[in-house]
Amino acid sequence: MPTALLRMSQVSKSFGATRALADVSLEARGGEVLALIGENGAGKSTLMKILSGAVSPDRGEMELAGRRFAPRGPHSARLAGVAMIYQELNLAPDLAVVENVMLGQESRRCGVVRRADERQRVRAALEQLDRTDLPLDLPVGQLSVADQQVVEIARALVTDAKVIVFDEPTSSLTRHDVQNLFRAIVRLKQSGMAIIYISHFLEEIRQIADRFVVLRDGSVAGSGPLAGATEADIVSLMVGRKVEELFPSVPHACGEILLSLEGLSGRRAPKGATLELRRGEILGLSGLVGAGRTELLRCLMALDPVRDGRVRIAGLEPRRTPHARIRAGLGLVSEDRKTEGLAQRETIADNLTYSRLQPYSRFGWLNLGHRRTAVEDWMRKLNVKARSSEQLVEHLSGGNQQKVAIARVMHQDADVLLLDEPTRGIDVGTKAEIYRLMAQLAAQGKAVIFVSSYFTELLAICDRVGVMARGELREIRPASEWTSESILSCALGVDGRT
Amino acid sequence: MQRGAALFLALAMLVLVVGCGSATSDSKTGEAKNGFHIAVIPKGTTHVFWKSVHAGALKAAEEFKAAGTPVEIQWKGALLENDREGQINVVADFVAQGVDGIVIAPLDSTALVPSIRDAKDAGIPTVIFDSGLADESVIESYVATDNYNGGALAAREIGKRLGGKGDVILLRYNVGSESTEQREQGFLDTIKKEFPEIVMLSDDQYSGTTAISAQNKALELLNQFGDKVDGFFAVCEPDTVGVLSALEQEGLAGKVVFVGFDPSPHLIEAMREKKVHGLVLQDPVAMGYLGVKAVVERLQGKTVEKRISTGEALATPESVDSPKMQKLLNPEQAN
Amino acid sequence: MGETAAKLGLARRGGDFLRNVLGPFLALVVVVSIFWIADSMQADGGRFATLRNAQNILVQSATVGVAALGMTLIIISGGIDLSAGTAMALSATSLAWFLREQYSPAVSVAAGIAVGCLCGCANGMLISLLRIVPFIVTLGTMTIYLGLAKIVGDNTMVRPLPDQVPLWMKQLLSPRVEYEWMVFAPGVWLLLVMALVTAAVLRYTVFGRYVFAVGSNEATARLCGINVPLVRIAVYTISGFFVGVAGLYQFTRLTVGDPTSGTGKELPIIAAVVIGGGSLSGGRGSILGTLTGALIMQVISSGCTSLRLPNPIQEIIIGCIIIAAVTIDQFRQRRQAV
Repeated sequence: MPTALLRMSQVSKSFGATRALADVSLEARGGEVLALIGENGAGKSTLMKILSGAVSPDRGEMELAGRRFAPRGPHSARLAGVAMIYQELNLAPDLAVVENVMLGQESRRCGVVRRADERQRVRAALEQLDRTDLPLDLPVGQLSVADQQVVEIARALVTDAKVIVFDEPTSSLTRHDVQNLFRAIVRLKQSGMAIIYISHFLEEIRQIADRFVVLRDGSVAGSGPLAGATEADIVSLMVGRKVEELFPSVPHACGEILLSLEGLSGRRAPKGATLELRRGEILGLSGLVGAGRTELLRCLMALDPVRDGRVRIAGLEPRRTPHARIRAGLGLVSEDRKTEGLAQRETIADNLTYSRLQPYSRFGWLNLGHRRTAVEDWMRKLNVKARSSEQLVEHLSGGNQQKVAIARVMHQDADVLLLDEPTRGIDVGTKAEIYRLMAQLAAQGKAVIFVSSYFTELLAICDRVGVMARGELREIRPASEWTSESILSCALGVDGRT
Repeated sequence: MQRGAALFLALAMLVLVVGCGSATSDSKTGEAKNGFHIAVIPKGTTHVFWKSVHAGALKAAEEFKAAGTPVEIQWKGALLENDREGQINVVADFVAQGVDGIVIAPLDSTALVPSIRDAKDAGIPTVIFDSGLADESVIESYVATDNYNGGALAAREIGKRLGGKGDVILLRYNVGSESTEQREQGFLDTIKKEFPEIVMLSDDQYSGTTAISAQNKALELLNQFGDKVDGFFAVCEPDTVGVLSALEQEGLAGKVVFVGFDPSPHLIEAMREKKVHGLVLQDPVAMGYLGVKAVVERLQGKTVEKRISTGEALATPESVDSPKMQKLLNPEQAN
Repeated sequence: MGETAAKLGLARRGGDFLRNVLGPFLALVVVVSIFWIADSMQADGGRFATLRNAQNILVQSATVGVAALGMTLIIISGGIDLSAGTAMALSATSLAWFLREQYSPAVSVAAGIAVGCLCGCANGMLISLLRIVPFIVTLGTMTIYLGLAKIVGDNTMVRPLPDQVPLWMKQLLSPRVEYEWMVFAPGVWLLLVMALVTAAVLRYTVFGRYVFAVGSNEATARLCGINVPLVRIAVYTISGFFVGVAGLYQFTRLTVGDPTSGTGKELPIIAAVVIGGGSLSGGRGSILGTLTGALIMQVISSGCTSLRLPNPIQEIIIGCIIIAAVTIDQFRQRRQAV
């Protein structure tokens, strides 16, 4: 019988007038994976901050292994036995694996690091994760994202963590790495730890978790064992309404050829990519991280240097500048909202209109009133939740930020929308809205290239799916001719046909 | 909350500093009520020369106080050295503040004229020291070394040591520098009048403003005239330092009769080694003292001389350790 | 729904306006009040809060103020210009040279300002084309412009004859105003007009938006098809224009061209922008804030003189104000972020 290792009861927290958490109670038991589910803004991150000691609750109690748990800061939480594995990894890229694992908890005598002892402890931790193959002395920066995550987990093990919290751990992993991670999590669970697993991917949750807790608007909307719950049940708990279906079907038909690439090559990737895209078509691009999908889109936009090849849009060959490509009808939603996709510290209105200010300007002077009306119109159309069009983008939730980024390419009236992982790190409700948008755009005669690492959405949304591996566009087939397994084996370079 | 705290802290700091400052000055202004508030504006604030001027100004204030007229000295230069605009701002601030009199060493002979005219129009008399002003109608008096006489002193020393004949070089300082031009003129006139047998090998070269440029120019001249050179006059401190280095480099130090202007520890050392045979000394303490004295006397309704000389002296290897020279070489300094 | 949202937006903008624009202004009011009170407590005080002193302070801060307008643009676009001081001296010296060589005042002023524009343009080109960070490029041009100014001035002052300097120049920044109805010197009004135009350009033009975009996130700007190098060059050239005007301002106060008169002046110019809420990481800054920043420094400087505080204290206070301004700004941002 698993025991409750971590118990939170009636925890509340407000920031100013905003109530972030209201009377949240939950239990994480040893030897069990608890999934924490909720839309962005539901209170997950506040809960995480309270657990990690970064924020202290206004009211409520926490217990860890039967003792009062009131961490005064991240370090004290870690010492008490709660470890966090964040979405963005917190490693020093220039330090070796051993040094990273032992950072802040070096075993030493009189200030001198006892290297042999450290190595032994790190090796033991890696053994527990079945990853003794990791070279201890390699700088962490040279490891893959997945291996870096292993280093983070090893760090938690070395401190004798009782509870490990994973925050969206798979968002930057390939499918293969996800399976490895899950094996590691199962081992941790079997050793008696309590795991709290935060994710948007319901599929994953079903695969790894034992019980779930859904947060909505700062309170617990529902919880229970995962075994008895359907996906639709959980989604409707999350969004607070019935979700008819995650993948809406808007009928759209393909028209004439809009975009054609002939042997497009970039510096490292893509290598000689050739494809044709028709009006009203949604083309999915799959592949492992680093397969060259992002590079393909960036070469198309002339953001990365182009080595070779031709790009035609509606029969014309635009110049190789982002400006010319935008004028020719291309629009890119970047995979990285923070550092490229949006100017985080500017307003929604600015971000939405940067790529097309002409409608509001005469001789270079802007009609701001006119623009505000238009922006508010777009915000309504895409259901962007914000106080006003003048709110700074950085204060929006991830889903709303993504909608602003998509609204921009729609506002610039792009004919070909290049969406790079548009559904990564956003909540289910918004995902559904984005799927519907894509289908509607296709129905209006636009064309969409949709890059995603999530096979299910590719297969459900796209007309055709192309798979890239090592910079090459391996194969394009109608979505109905692919399965998750065949995409994966093609992406891995195994013979695609099953 | 935190923002409020930070703001509070910053303001508290400001109030504290301002408060302390005005508290200390309160006592002074209390005294100055029936007396005068005099602003003294140097060219720079860090060089020891100006600290001696400050000491002289304070000395004058002490004397007036003893005589029953309290005088408050407010000493303030521009934040950046050699910043003409900064000095103009300081004058304007003092005029706006309404001081009773201004004593200033103008950084520029023309740039400072409008601000000093503003002071005059506001009824504030100004006395300048150290350097001249293009328009002397705006000032009450000019307190300075008699540079012409300083040049003459140097000429007589060289003439005496050469026995009235020989070949001499004059290295000028910089175009447009009024005080050094007078030294040069005084030197040339005296040589011509009193030592007709002395030949000027060169009197039209300029050293530039740094010791390095002076050294290069002096080397050029020494290479050109070689052993013919019997005497050398350099007209200011960087000039003197540069020429001394050149003479040392050519092995002529001590052989050529060399007289310079303004002291530095390095030059005094060279004088004891008889590499420098004379240094014309100015009296910065007297500048501050006489400047303040002139402006206060003007305020008291007395007439002051349009031109006040602070006196100049010549130190030689023989006289360098005499008490009089030591006082000029190591003048008192204000803190 | 839309209407209420718009209203809310308006109210929200009102709040932002209070915080972002009036924030630095409030600091100015506080600083003035402190000196005012301290001055009136002095035995022979009461001269600080006079029209005469206000005229004086405005005239003194005008030169830094003009140059800081351009610096605001540069800092918003994520750059920095360490050469502003020496470029200002270069344009002032060139202006003086043209006057001395018997060119008409109009030609000389145009030439001086053109020199400023060229300096700025050169900075922008080097930054954009060589892809070197602005700090390094302008660190280099800082000494280059100083050297050029010394060449123009032949290593000394350039002194036009008094009658070669037209009367209007002498009056441009004279603390005593020729015509009483103007209240403040013509140069102060000119600065105000230029500030209004610049603020309007930043807020109401496509170019202004692009400046913010480039400073806020260069990658986004590129993604949106903005010609980042062109925007940069334009920003630096416009800033060069203001540096040229600042050179004119400086010349009218000195009436001589001093090649070294700009050395060290870049710091108060940058400080004015930073005190006014500009962020050295780009994307933030305001014209009103910058002008306020320039005024705050001059008020402290003049106030210290009238309180008989010595220079070192003045320097310390200005340093404290810079750090306090930035600290407050950071807290403000952190609070907004939660």
